[in-house]
Amino acid sequence: MPALSPTMTEGNIAAWRVQEGASFSAGDVLLEIETDKATMDVEAQDDGVMVKVMQQDGSKGVKVGSRIAVIAEAGDDASTVEIPAEGGKEAGGVEAAKKDRPSPGEEMKGGIERTESSPSAAESPPSSRPEADAEAGGAADTAGAAQKKSTSSGKQGGKPQKQTYPLYPSVEHLLHLNGMTAADADSIPSSGPNGRLLKGDVLAHLGRINKEHPAQITARLQKLGHLDLSNIQLAAAPPKREVTQPPSAPTEIEIPQETELAVPISLSGVIATQKRVNDTLGIFLPLSTFIARASELANEELPLAKNRKPTADDLFNSVLGLDKVSSKVSSRGHYIPQVTGLPPATLPFRRSAAKKTDIIDLLTSSKPAAKKAAPRVVPGAVGMSAGENVFSVTAKAGEERRAAEYLERMKMALEREPGRLVL
Amino acid sequence: MFSRLLPRSATRSALQAQNQAPHFVRASPVTAQLSERIRQRRGYATPAEEKDLVIIGGGVAGYVAAIKAGQEGLKVACIEKRGVLGGTCLNVGCIPSKSLLNNSHLYHQILHDTKNRGIDVGDVKLNLANMMKAKETSVNSLTKGIEFLFKKNNVEYIKGTGAFADEHTVAVRLQDGSETSVRGKNILIATGSESTPFPGLTIDEKKVITSTGAIALEKVPKKMVVVGGGIIGLEMGSVWSRLGAEVTVVEFLGQIGGPGMDAEISKNIQKTLSKQGMKFMLNTKVVKGDDSGEDVKLEVEAAKGGKAQTLEADVVLVAIGRRPYTANLGLENIGLETDTRGRLVIDSEYRTKLPHIRVIGDCTFGPMLAHKAEEEAVAVVEFITKNYGHVNYGAIPSVMYTHPEVAWVGQNEAELKEAGVKYKVGTFPFSANSRAKTNQDTDGMVKFLADAETDRILGVHIVGPNAGEMIAEGTLALEYGASTEDVGRTSHAHPTLAEAFKEAAMATYGKAIHY
Ligand SMILES: Cc1cc2nc3c(=O)[nH]c(=O)nc-3n(C[C@H](O)[C@H](O)[C@H](O)COP(=O)(O)OP(=O)(O)OC[C@H]3O[C@@H](n4cnc5c(N)ncnc54)[C@H](O)[C@@H]3O)c2cc1C
Repeated sequence: MPALSPTMTEGNIAAWRVQEGASFSAGDVLLEIETDKATMDVEAQDDGVMVKVMQQDGSKGVKVGSRIAVIAEAGDDASTVEIPAEGGKEAGGVEAAKKDRPSPGEEMKGGIERTESSPSAAESPPSSRPEADAEAGGAADTAGAAQKKSTSSGKQGGKPQKQTYPLYPSVEHLLHLNGMTAADADSIPSSGPNGRLLKGDVLAHLGRINKEHPAQITARLQKLGHLDLSNIQLAAAPPKREVTQPPSAPTEIEIPQETELAVPISLSGVIATQKRVNDTLGIFLPLSTFIARASELANEELPLAKNRKPTADDLFNSVLGLDKVSSKVSSRGHYIPQVTGLPPATLPFRRSAAKKTDIIDLLTSSKPAAKKAAPRVVPGAVGMSAGENVFSVTAKAGEERRAAEYLERMKMALEREPGRLVL
Repeated sequence: MFSRLLPRSATRSALQAQNQAPHFVRASPVTAQLSERIRQRRGYATPAEEKDLVIIGGGVAGYVAAIKAGQEGLKVACIEKRGVLGGTCLNVGCIPSKSLLNNSHLYHQILHDTKNRGIDVGDVKLNLANMMKAKETSVNSLTKGIEFLFKKNNVEYIKGTGAFADEHTVAVRLQDGSETSVRGKNILIATGSESTPFPGLTIDEKKVITSTGAIALEKVPKKMVVVGGGIIGLEMGSVWSRLGAEVTVVEFLGQIGGPGMDAEISKNIQKTLSKQGMKFMLNTKVVKGDDSGEDVKLEVEAAKGGKAQTLEADVVLVAIGRRPYTANLGLENIGLETDTRGRLVIDSEYRTKLPHIRVIGDCTFGPMLAHKAEEEAVAVVEFITKNYGHVNYGAIPSVMYTHPEVAWVGQNEAELKEAGVKYKVGTFPFSANSRAKTNQDTDGMVKFLADAETDRILGVHIVGPNAGEMIAEGTLALEYGASTEDVGRTSHAHPTLAEAFKEAAMATYGKAIHY
């Protein structure tokens, strides 16, 4: 019974695929073995004849190393070979009938034992001879372990697979050196990612290195490929807090410094105009309309903030290389004034939330802000007075000049020529 | 990873496409946006529509997952409290640090390494403010690029701080102080990490700083002590050393670069950095710190006990590592667990014990690297949409962007020894590489570790110019199970630094030609 994995101690014979007396060639499946983990095919390493099956189909709990069958070299007459007594071998599986006396140097790796046609080759097992050259490699192989082939989707690799990608340079080189062709690659058990054939697989196939080794590396690397989530030591659970507790204010954000700029603006001119329009045209224009229009004008082509961050448009332009072409010195503002009447109502200054730039502003650039100005001013109108009013805006750090310019223009528009706003 | 921002196909029409996003179709784009904004501003605690995926954190882990989920057709929202996307990496980590590393290297080189190249330069002056500005420009264009990609992929971006109200609801305190909430069929935690503070020192980001302060100092310190000789400490130490500070690195372990760096490589880079003027105190621990005076005083002693010594510095950089950040996330409200190091507990599919809540990036297990977070982001979305995703944690490269750079992938010698693996070593020095010679930049080497029998590559370790780019080939080789012979039989252009990579491979399975 061959050991199909390093930990296997016994196995069941599921079925023999080669009957007594029948001959087989290298790569044929000799039998299927069941372990607690999987059912595996055991393949012939070389051509041969099945002399005698000792453990029949369905045998259970057969110890690794005990004899399950005897095979002989191809061409031998199965009926005439002499069957050696069991125990002559240490790790035998399918035992080979010997014409020559067994060489003491022979060491079986838990596969299928077989007769060596050349005692000299048998005397130096390849597994202990990594320097074996190409010629010896072929012969040495026969003494090596049977290739195991997992019929379950075992991850240990070791399953030949059609090589659909170009062969690795080392693999191609080795095949050529050993008189094989690219077509042979498909029959060599492979242990690489997605069944790719690696240099180590070819070396193992040639018997230069331990057959198990490539699959073992793959298994180890597969383990390293995953996060080690074993032995997690849990922290002591924190006390449960009230579900409704709001998240505490963000600590890490630097809220940009903001300055509130304010300028007194008299609305008496506007009110006079409002009255004039009402008297002459019969249309009542709310104060908010004047302010919104003034704001729209004042927002036009404001000087850029000192530390202005590029908008998505700028980014596009720089991607396309257009940033070098137009050197912008101004851009449309998004200011909306907060209006507070001085006497009689002195409302506390409020910060207008609308001034926080957000992505929608940036991406849609100018349009919405001005249109929104009108409705947003309305609440402010509550505290407006017919005389002096304080118009204020919040300016981010670096934007002070921009905001001041805006307020100046507002003052100009509303005090000097309010009539032009509604023309 | 950032080069793919703003692909050309992402034309302005993408903006219009966004306006037709499902939840905007009710009204004209402008009014819909307006009402959306008002809803967010006023923060009505309306039971908002349920998202397929709600992501807490807009760092690399969170933003990549958001974009990927958008591409897969999920209704996705991403909550970020910082005010800008990109997290630690883009705002205070990888990107700003690399900007300073690159520019400080240029400055240093112009100052010290031009004469023997036949370039006579006049007066060279540092303009630190402008160097910082250059850094900010890079950062801004990258973070804005992500906002654009959110738009393009229909990701709703919620600016605020999220916390679990219940298993499916995240309460958000918006930036303007109001509150709202979002519900998600799936929720992804990607809240990242923060610097581990040093007990006894108060971080003020001026005198006692973390990496965040180290990328924003207003003047070059005279004396700087770096506590912790890991990658971040060495990178930031390099920047200020090049700009003129006298830098001393205090490291508890017997080597710099952290435990993942191969010991031979670590010694090699330590020698080079010492030549550049940095001082190292290994096997040394800081026992006490005093930041009450104008200068900071640190008491240090040999790690295994020994006589104490006092170091003085005008700036102390605390770089002893980072820890998962999950503060105020409301984990206790839904009973999610962390381990003793604060990492959120997950299974192999990133699920917490509430299977619809998953965790990726710095706030859970694995190396704290941006590209690891990015791989996980794609995998986690695939787990949600397709039930299968994969990250190969055995082939994640690490890079230290000092000069020369250090880069590695796979296992190092100490790890292989511990695992009882028989291995072969092959090395090639850059001093024997023609391109390094012509560039007059020859410090360092390439080192391969391969299985002794099969020649399969188990680890690649590089210290040298451009190591960070070169490691990509090693990672690919590892991912494909290549042997050193496969690399050695692959043509590498001449004259390139990459030839050193090939020669080191040849030295592993046979002999190098040029050494
Ligand atoms: C100085 C420095 C240099 C670095 N250099 C490199 C490098 O060169 N290469 C590399 O690979 N890695 C580097 N890193 C590491 C890299 O930055 C991290 O691995 C990466 O950022 C992790 O991404 P993440 O998305 O998991 O976390 P983070 O980037 O930390 O993102 C988490 C985000 O979540 C947000 N957040 C947290 N809690 C909440 C909440 N309750 N509500 C809303 N939002 C919240 C945070 O504001 C943050 O923006 C560096 C780190 C530092 C500090």
